[in-house]
Amino acid sequence: MSEVSDAPPTRPLRPARNWALIIGAVGAVTLMTWWSARGIGFSVVELACNLPGGRRLLVESWPPDWSFFPRLLAPLLETLQIAVIGTVIGGILAIPIAVLAARNLTPGFLVWFVDRNFMNILRTLPDLFWAMLFAAAVGFGPIAGALALTVFTIAVISKLWSESLEAIDMAVPEAVRAAGGSWLAMLQFGAIPQALPHYVSYALYAFELNVRASMILGLVGAGGIGMVLETQRSTFEYPRVTLIVLSVLVLVLIIEQISESIRRRLV
Amino acid sequence: MNDKAAIHFEGARVVYPNGAVGLAGIDLTIKPGEFVVVVGSSGAGKSTLLRSVNGLTPLTSGRITVGGQPVPKQEGRELRRLRAGVGMIFQDFRITRRLSVMTNVLVGRVAHVPGWRAMLNLWPAADREIAFKALERVSIADKAWVRAGDLSGGQQQRVGIARALAQEPAIILADEPVASLDPVTTHQIMRDLVRINQDLGITTLVNLHFLDLARRYGQRIIGLKAGELVYDGTADSVTGEDFKNIYGRDPDAGDVLDASVAS
Repeated sequence: MSEVSDAPPTRPLRPARNWALIIGAVGAVTLMTWWSARGIGFSVVELACNLPGGRRLLVESWPPDWSFFPRLLAPLLETLQIAVIGTVIGGILAIPIAVLAARNLTPGFLVWFVDRNFMNILRTLPDLFWAMLFAAAVGFGPIAGALALTVFTIAVISKLWSESLEAIDMAVPEAVRAAGGSWLAMLQFGAIPQALPHYVSYALYAFELNVRASMILGLVGAGGIGMVLETQRSTFEYPRVTLIVLSVLVLVLIIEQISESIRRRLV
Repeated sequence: MNDKAAIHFEGARVVYPNGAVGLAGIDLTIKPGEFVVVVGSSGAGKSTLLRSVNGLTPLTSGRITVGGQPVPKQEGRELRRLRAGVGMIFQDFRITRRLSVMTNVLVGRVAHVPGWRAMLNLWPAADREIAFKALERVSIADKAWVRAGDLSGGQQQRVGIARALAQEPAIILADEPVASLDPVTTHQIMRDLVRINQDLGITTLVNLHFLDLARRYGQRIIGLKAGELVYDGTADSVTGEDFKNIYGRDPDAGDVLDASVAS
């Protein structure tokens, strides 16, 4: 300890912790949680009492009805196709939207402001809303699902990627400008290559989300495995529901494996 | 020599938003084809001087003309046209590590080809030829298709030089081009710059920290101190007293690259 006090006076002291801030933040989160739990009537005691009901459902759902599997193949494939279309179209449209929303790259405040708010609206409205909207527009079925997932993909990728773009090193883009490069050249040669690995991982992530989301979208008639799930659930065919959930789980795991290996190769 | 390569500073003054003075009113003329080394301690305004020439740092007041044309104070077509003829080399290379060496050098052609061609990577054969010639001039044409980030520091700086050369510039600005390199590579890069200046007659402004490098490679030496011009003369006539004046103290071992050569 004496060594510390012998240090020359020029050595800066470690700044004191801001206890008021820490206590305030912890207090605010605690208060919000308590208020929310009261509001929805969340109670650990009640939860424990109602567990048998959940258990009954699980028992009824086991074992899965394997014989149903052949009838799942076509809808599973359709789910995959919906997800592919949504991810590819949404992924492409997300590129300009993300660039214009990145503060360091946007050509002007007005463009940035409009684009940012457009992104916020896309993100605030849930995918179920988009599915219902498109179902009303183009009819129930996989097209409506693919369109809903396109919007969902734009919302996910543009938000995440615009933040990656804001975090890039602006030194290289400056060098492109120093060579007389235009805004587009600066983007293409200085800015975007730096954030390209992020783009690929967000696109793969969006694909994974889309496969999962297409299960929910089926509930409102947007095609794919979700529609089968909804029919079986409403007729209390729980062993079949179990099989559907398991098959989607396996599909997502396979996609996760593939995208992980792609990502590893890219970074 | 053509007039495009002359630079005039008239009362050039830069004050940064935080109140720091970058240039305190500089009057200076650089003649076409000169090889000028700018020295001064850090914060003396060396980088500001270079960056004001291609408008990366706009002047607060005064003016700079390049080839008789005033440097525009705002981004736009005029400034881009001026920058197209001024190559810049940076201390930290500023090349895109994820792209190939060739693509990085072709960035030096972006102001010379139609935008859609650059965008689709459809560079005209003539521009590819210019890029290759630039790589040959710095002896790394064999690395053309290697990812730039896989090269050594000295090779990466050569990519930076080749990119500047690909602009076919009248002027080259080199902002501490050897500050991130080892001594052997430092001398190679400095010799490259001198050779390019002699072969192509490109007006060259180089910021350097080390006094021995300045004396060895500079034709003309300019000394800056707190944004003011405190020395302007030939490399042969610069004395220890001059350096003392520029740095505000006696030069020591930290101010030379090779202490054994220091006089």
